[in-house]
Amino acid sequence: MNQEEKKPEVNSEPAPPALRRRNPKEIAAACALAWAIPGAGHLYLGRRLAGAVFFAVVLITFSLGLFMGGKVYLIDRTQPLSYLATFSNLALGPLDLVGRESVYGRMVFRIPDDPKSQEAEELLQTVRDRIKLETYEYGTTYLLTASLMNILLILDVFDIGIGRKE
Amino acid sequence: MRDHFLNMTIFSLLVSVFFAFLTQSTNRNRLRVALVLCLSMIGISLMIAYIMFPFPLK
Repeated sequence: MNQEEKKPEVNSEPAPPALRRRNPKEIAAACALAWAIPGAGHLYLGRRLAGAVFFAVVLITFSLGLFMGGKVYLIDRTQPLSYLATFSNLALGPLDLVGRESVYGRMVFRIPDDPKSQEAEELLQTVRDRIKLETYEYGTTYLLTASLMNILLILDVFDIGIGRKE
Repeated sequence: MRDHFLNMTIFSLLVSVFFAFLTQSTNRNRLRVALVLCLSMIGISLMIAYIMFPFPLK
């Protein structure tokens, strides 16, 4: 018999953690943490490196978006897609509030129904000023990407929690 | 940050690292996937830009 066939394979990679279903409270806590702080859900589930990298990547993407004058979306009843974009922004948790505070000077989520009101005028003027920036499109893309990344992180934490993913 | 290529490179790098960590569980695979993704995104973008170059702007 060939001895080489018997030789066990040398694997330098650490074995991936075994699949296991966690209890619902733990899953809910992990998902809530993932929403509140990017990467925190993975940290909570014991994936330290991945959690730290996710935190850094999402934070850098979000910061670049704000720095480049990206738009933090507001619900506008005349534009149905603004609901989706605002929902996407909200997936960033408290970071989204930081974004709204820095862009609009307050935590605002929708444009008032009366477009001629002073508040609506101020908000629209802020948006118009940002659109004039050369890097506005880039910034908006970065902000939306950071939000979508965090949605994927929450779903990933859920999958790990229910034992669907290693 | 008004340089298009720099913006594209940074964006590709961030997205590549993110998806490498999201989809792979070992560091070797993460590095491989991040490199392939990043280079693919930059390469394909440059290719599309090159193909679009002769198009009239008007």
